Amino acid sequence: MERGGTISRDLLESVRDKIRQGLLPQWVFSDPDIYREELHKIFYRTWQFLGHESEIPQPGDFVTRWMVYDPVLLLRDTDGQVQAYLNSCTHRGSPLCVEDGGNKKTFTCPYHGWTFNTKGELIGVIAGNKVYGEEFDRSEWALRKIPRLEMVHGMIFGCLDPQAPPLLEFLGDLKWYWDILLGRTDHGVEVRGVPHRWVIRTNWKISSDNFGGDPYHTAMTHRSAVELGIAPKDPLYGSYGYQVVLDRGHGFIISTAPPGLQMPPYQGLPEVLWPEFERNLLPAQRSVFQKAVVMVGTCFPNLSWVSPMHGTGGPDEPLTTFINFRVWRPLAANRIEVWSWLMVDKDAPEDFKEASYRSYIGSFGPAGTLEQDDCEIWTRVVESSRGFMAQNKDVNYNNVLNYLMGLDRVKPVDDWPGPGVAYPTCFLDAISRSFYEHWAEMLLA
Amino acid sequence: MSRLTYGDVVQLLFHEAALLDRREYDAWLDLLDDSIVYRMPLRITRDPRSGPEIRDDMAFFEENKASLRTRVERLKTTSAWAELPPTRARHFISNILAEPVTDDGTLTVASSFLVLRSRRENADVEQIFGERRDVWRWNGERWRLFRRTIYPDQTTLSVMNLSMFL
Repeated sequence: MERGGTISRDLLESVRDKIRQGLLPQWVFSDPDIYREELHKIFYRTWQFLGHESEIPQPGDFVTRWMVYDPVLLLRDTDGQVQAYLNSCTHRGSPLCVEDGGNKKTFTCPYHGWTFNTKGELIGVIAGNKVYGEEFDRSEWALRKIPRLEMVHGMIFGCLDPQAPPLLEFLGDLKWYWDILLGRTDHGVEVRGVPHRWVIRTNWKISSDNFGGDPYHTAMTHRSAVELGIAPKDPLYGSYGYQVVLDRGHGFIISTAPPGLQMPPYQGLPEVLWPEFERNLLPAQRSVFQKAVVMVGTCFPNLSWVSPMHGTGGPDEPLTTFINFRVWRPLAANRIEVWSWLMVDKDAPEDFKEASYRSYIGSFGPAGTLEQDDCEIWTRVVESSRGFMAQNKDVNYNNVLNYLMGLDRVKPVDDWPGPGVAYPTCFLDAISRSFYEHWAEMLLA
Repeated sequence: MSRLTYGDVVQLLFHEAALLDRREYDAWLDLLDDSIVYRMPLRITRDPRSGPEIRDDMAFFEENKASLRTRVERLKTTSAWAELPPTRARHFISNILAEPVTDDGTLTVASSFLVLRSRRENADVEQIFGERRDVWRWNGERWRLFRRTIYPDQTTLSVMNLSMFL
């Protein structure tokens, strides 16, 4: 793609250099040219989360998904293999399936009736050879596969770039931490129900960065939880724990109990699961997991997760936790669609799963008391970033935002048991700087 | 009580809507039975021959009286930013279909809702709409909301958050 008139290589290099100094030019939050660059240089080249295996357990089960603007038909074929196709008929391009999910053995296009099976083969053409001739080769008109499709812990990813590195290479050391989140029990996690979907007027980087590297916001954005006595008053409460900076813009945050406060191990997960942790995790992974209260982060570019511990353990408030993954699907420079999945260990007791579900709905999803305020403030950031001064690319107005926290001040932990570079606090912009540096490098590639 | 007229039912639902629009949340909580089940399941798009659109295994709201009270208390804090400054919302309740009150004092009523919301200075209007299925009970003194299921018509919500009650 040709570069937009305003985004030169020099400009991108200057942005990258600024980020290394802990400064982010504000214009990148709503500039339409950089948004188009991001689509081509980042979203069409990186692995995108499509769904979880547990959403399509039976042959013929399907869901429809999006890779930004590419419609995807994700299904389990009649042989039990997961497949992903461009959800667009090879005849005239009409969407083949406009349902969110279901079970089908064949998909018939409503435009001219071409029919495909779960292997993507064209198996039915109205009037067939009578109109196309005996030489018509149906195998040439099979559904177009999403070029790359791979899985880890049941998490299904697609990639539009045939030359992209394998999924495990893309994830790198993040896999070690996802083992804790998704691979700790014998049968892994399952999705409950269907994902929440809603639209926010913000830029995808703001939400990705918020989940990826910004526990600092909890003290103010979520102060209502403090006022209600749900969260402690200590302004440093969200800081206890570790930021782990990983390669390729990924990050993983493990928040821990404040000094001197005893918290249940393993996020308060039921003891019946602990032997499974021993079976499935390395001692080093267990030592990280054991002290985790909240695990949160972003897989570059736009897949985030949060797994907090909620409740007091009292009779009305069982101690619980949940796993929530979300895709921040870009719709425009100033608009995203959120897809948010609740996941829980399959092997967890049913009453725990129910408590987990209620805890998720109370705090996250569009009605969640934490999520509500996040959405409002992310919207405001974009509103105040689209004007002449904020958009000025010569930085005449010193229009850079502050990503300086901990720069050259906070040293990594020497004896961290896991991969990556771990810092001994969550109030730090190290992951954010790494996220944006990688973002700039990809735009420059 | 058992001779509740259609006008009485309309008045009951409009009164509740007015409490929400006027942000009189404590009075609204008083309208709710202590054992209320208040939920809003998700909707998906699918071929009706293959199953229901409503997915009861995931919800936007899955509330009881205690959790609704927590939500109300949150709105009274000085940092519930989704509602600070307060949004202006208007609950339009219509298409009210009431069944006759049963002998034990139960009123089953369905209604359509359209909630329009204005945020800060924005000229754009947010909206959400759908159907509510209610069960109200007479407690000897007044009618209280005992069950409410809210069915959104959208699968992907266009409101950025559900900081309001429906």
